[in-house]
Amino acid sequence: MNVRLLSILLASVFFLIIIDLVRREKLTFKYAAGWLGITLLGILLAVFDKFLSGFAAKLGFQLTSNFIFFTVSCGLISLSLILTIFLGQQNSRNDRMAQKIALLENELQKIKR
Amino acid sequence: MKKILVILPAYNESGNIGATINDLKSLDFAFDIVVVNDASTDTTAQEALKAGARVLSLPVNLGIGGAVQTGLLYALRNGYDIATQVDGDGQHDAQYLKVILAPILAEQADIVVGSRFIGPFQGWQSSAVRRIGIRFFAWLISGLTGYAVSDPTSGFRAFNAKAIKVFADDYPQDFPEPESIMSAKRFGFRLLEVPVQMRRRIHGHSSIRYFNTLYYMIKVTIAILLNMLKKTKRS
Repeated sequence: MNVRLLSILLASVFFLIIIDLVRREKLTFKYAAGWLGITLLGILLAVFDKFLSGFAAKLGFQLTSNFIFFTVSCGLISLSLILTIFLGQQNSRNDRMAQKIALLENELQKIKR
Repeated sequence: MKKILVILPAYNESGNIGATINDLKSLDFAFDIVVVNDASTDTTAQEALKAGARVLSLPVNLGIGGAVQTGLLYALRNGYDIATQVDGDGQHDAQYLKVILAPILAEQADIVVGSRFIGPFQGWQSSAVRRIGIRFFAWLISGLTGYAVSDPTSGFRAFNAKAIKVFADDYPQDFPEPESIMSAKRFGFRLLEVPVQMRRRIHGHSSIRYFNTLYYMIKVTIAILLNMLKKTKRS
């Protein structure tokens, strides 16, 4: 089996898995949209691999594979940074909610008495 | 007559909280006491209620910063003019409540911090290792803010209405004691230190453990420097 076919196959499988995750409501569309875009791009680049290697050469990469590794690792680093930001936001939201709950509970006790 | 609230953040302080509340209640002026029970697993909340304090019980543990902020939110919602933070572990001598309130009542400061390293009083001053850390942060924060700070880890504090309003909305969560001094500068508050005496805690462990290792010293330093770059959220 050649690499090109394997890439197309893998990207397509991912594409279908994401659609299935959205269908089963495990993934919200907000986050799925980006993943669908990435898998589609993967399929397109595997089909038109001449374009990919041409582009890599133009940027000065000696091997197309180096270009792919470089791009993917940059993407993954950005993604984990974004996820850390989300995590921080969720944290402060949780803290805020806990504080409001404590205040509300106190109010409720006062009313009950 | 100013409406005064004493905030006691407490995490598993069942052994200390009752005595702390009773000490405060023996003072000869009027104020309300609210215990912020930071999801304690012991009987802190019951002990506090038994001693006659109001109790706010957080559903999850938020740490000292989140607990103090809950008290400040309570103060804001219920229209208090002054809020003071007294640690629920009995380290702070209730006798000095008047001392930290005085500059606020005289409108000389927006925030008052009780320091065990200045003035005529010489009580318990923490372990040697921690004193080195405290001295370093006192030097760093004083240099950066222009305030005369000698005890940046002190949790014995008073806030006026202006400070309550701002900190109820935006209070540092990671290393709240030293960081809130940096925030105070950003918000343009007048901060004053007054001499107080502290005692060694009787039961349990200190909630502020972040001064014990070099790793934490570096982390707190970075947090302090980053705090300077934060956007000033004015409400």
